[in-house]
Amino acid sequence: MKNATAILLSLGLIGVPVTAQWVHFPTAGIPRTPDGKPNLSAPTPRTKDGKPDLSGIWDVLHNRPCPPEGCPDMFIPQEFLDIGFFLKGGLPYQPWAAAIVKQRMAENRFTDPNAHCLPTGIVRMYTTPLFRKIIQTPGLVVILNEREVTYRQIFTDGRPAPLDPQPSWVGYSTGKWEGDTLVVQTTGFRDGLWLDANGSPLTESGKITERIRRVNFGTLEIEITVDDPKAYTKPWTVKLTQLLKADTDLLDYYCVENEKDGPHLVGK
Amino acid sequence: MHRFLTIAMLVGAASAAVDTQAQWVHYPTAGIPRTKDGKPNLYASTPRTPDGKPDLSGIWEANREGGTGVSFTGGQLPPLFTNIGAQLKGGLPYSAWGRDLFNSRLADNSKDSPDAKCLPIGILWLHSHISPRKILQLPGLVVILYERFTQFRQIFTDGRPLPADPEPSFFGYSSGKWEGDTLVVKTIGFRDDLWADFAGSPLTQYATVTERFRRPNYGNLDIELTVDDPKAYTTPWTVKLNQRILLDTELLEFICVDNEKTLPHMVGK
Repeated sequence: MKNATAILLSLGLIGVPVTAQWVHFPTAGIPRTPDGKPNLSAPTPRTKDGKPDLSGIWDVLHNRPCPPEGCPDMFIPQEFLDIGFFLKGGLPYQPWAAAIVKQRMAENRFTDPNAHCLPTGIVRMYTTPLFRKIIQTPGLVVILNEREVTYRQIFTDGRPAPLDPQPSWVGYSTGKWEGDTLVVQTTGFRDGLWLDANGSPLTESGKITERIRRVNFGTLEIEITVDDPKAYTKPWTVKLTQLLKADTDLLDYYCVENEKDGPHLVGK
Repeated sequence: MHRFLTIAMLVGAASAAVDTQAQWVHYPTAGIPRTKDGKPNLYASTPRTPDGKPDLSGIWEANREGGTGVSFTGGQLPPLFTNIGAQLKGGLPYSAWGRDLFNSRLADNSKDSPDAKCLPIGILWLHSHISPRKILQLPGLVVILYERFTQFRQIFTDGRPLPADPEPSFFGYSSGKWEGDTLVVKTIGFRDDLWADFAGSPLTQYATVTERFRRPNYGNLDIELTVDDPKAYTTPWTVKLNQRILLDTELLEFICVDNEKTLPHMVGK
């Protein structure tokens, strides 16, 4: 119990209010069943140019059973803790990467950027149990994150990825459509990113490919391939599912505000 | 001198990494109107969306002309950054409570400034912040992506009413509609402890902010701000500011918390 609390603390998951308590505005154009409920299995909506429209507010798939002491306010998916949870044999860590994951877990994850109010990076944002709003415009897809009220831009105007990008938390993302799948390539990461709460690393040599597909009105499938030869012996691919949240909107979530945990995160 | 240094530090805390923006992202902005010699024609007519409304979309930088004060890296600060009431004859009409709070923030060397604490500075102050912002105008929604802290603001233009009892927040809840060629945005639902400018002019939970956005030509965005906050001010007041288009560039990532070391040194007097 004490350990569970420590983990939640280090994940920054305690003291966070339940989302979507106040914003109730009907989502426009949502297909509904005869009883007025959103019809989440209706066909994929499309933009004027015939591409699937990824726009909407998305939540993680809650695939992790609640612990015996009850579900936390923020209900994390398995991949939040271990991005390779459903990968046979786990992530193909390089020896140093396996060692650092072991060390980070042994230290109660106290160096987790997430626990210190730093950005989560693009992979972990998908597993964070706060909402994301995708806005798809001609030439640009924007993801608005409830967490820290931050955004990420994915350029779909045909520009090439920069040759020497400024290393950043979210990298530089360009995307193009392959049939009904938006394929996004991202490079330009800084060293020291965590892909999950266990501390699986992503380095500056990392390339991430996301294949984003809206399979029906209510479901988004995101296949993520991480190619980071510095941290992993071979590229690996995982698939995340996101579910549409209808009739609501994003709330503010600021980690920094009245933040008092930092000094208490000291490991073992 | 001591006070000057502290102010410089505060501005520096949030601004040092920003003045040098746009060093690496060089990608041509699509659809720029050009003069005969090939230069961008900033006085070309206002672009419009398919429904005929002015399109406010673009990357905008606060106009620094007429500003006072310098940032940490030596750049001139935009006019309303330090004092949002600088244009007003006699200054801002503080209530007694508002003036006391303003004076105590000054006396404290602005140590509780949200800017220095890596917190959002709110929609008023952000208009005159030196880091660029990108406006995305969509059907039913206007989004402002701020370079500062990589944060965003939503303005709903789908006709929804303002909520009766909004959750107090740094940015408030914004709903906008077009009056001719002007986007009129009303915002309520602020927290009680906001700063409207660098000096610490207050903004409280009782405030209604009205913004009137107008793009008179391709290169300029005019914003008129009216603040009606009976707790902090004796009368509503209105100020104007101007932003200019930034071309062939993009927003950079700006994370205040990253390697943040100044906070423990912010101790006031």
